[in-house]
Amino acid sequence: MANINATPGESHLAHHFVDSEQQFDSSKLGMWIFLVTEVLFFGGLFVAYIVYRSWNPELFYMSAKELSTIMGAINTVVLIGSSLTIALAVRAAQLNQQANISRYLIATILLACVFLVIKYFEYTSKFAVGILPGELYTYTGIDHPGAPIFFSIYYMMTGLHGIHVIIGIGLMVYLLVKTRQGSYNAAYFTPVEITALYWHLVDLIWIFLFPLLYLIE
Amino acid sequence: MSSHEHHVIDLKYLLGAAAGLIILTILTVGASYVEIPRPFDLLTAMALAFGKATLVAAVFMGLIWDKKINTMALLFSLLFFFLMIGITLLDTLFRDRPFWIYN
Repeated sequence: MANINATPGESHLAHHFVDSEQQFDSSKLGMWIFLVTEVLFFGGLFVAYIVYRSWNPELFYMSAKELSTIMGAINTVVLIGSSLTIALAVRAAQLNQQANISRYLIATILLACVFLVIKYFEYTSKFAVGILPGELYTYTGIDHPGAPIFFSIYYMMTGLHGIHVIIGIGLMVYLLVKTRQGSYNAAYFTPVEITALYWHLVDLIWIFLFPLLYLIE
Repeated sequence: MSSHEHHVIDLKYLLGAAAGLIILTILTVGASYVEIPRPFDLLTAMALAFGKATLVAAVFMGLIWDKKINTMALLFSLLFFFLMIGITLLDTLFRDRPFWIYN
């Protein structure tokens, strides 16, 4: 049965929703529930970090010295910048500024790529001296019987975070293609909104990873 | 149309939040160079990180203007995260010796 409340330009409205507003709120709550599972997903790794740090405080102190505070700090600023640009992309969609949605999405994608390039240089400089996860660890610069523990946790946490960045880039490329097709406007921008929520969570996780991995005194 | 009810976040809030996040990042890095006795160094870093996280969630994710149920979802995830930490530490902090993966 046709929705009697349907108005022109609401072709995105699925029949089981009363109106656009209810559909938008449902999508958004659904995304938040997904973000809850993401918090708990990363939460397991944070628990591993806490347990092993409580057992080996000196090891974590010695190991964190190997990481470049400058690179970590730059990446923090890069991700904050990308959070701002994706929030501006949502705003552009709400204000029907088609060209600006594309511009801010491209800016966000570029910043995400900068993050990954910096991460690439960090990883390869560690690989070069034998700092690898688990049994592959051959570095001798840290005098501690549990030397590989910190970096195994480091690679798991930053690796999982990096995978999230790559997925985020994929989502934003998809949004960019759809934006170019004119799919998003003030009446319908749900995919932009929920992708932005996902991207902000990626930023949130890094906000905690940076001091916990790079800045241990 | 109902979609006009969507809150468009004012530019000054978005830029203000970004500026606040940069300032807190500088403070976080700065604090790591200051000699703060344990465990207050970690507590300082975490307080600053939670401050940053609050800015991102409240402004960038728009929770201030959003339906309260979304904020509830986030807070409940944190509640269960802290439960996971607490219950795990009740075991691991009181063992005779750590469980060694490597030796």
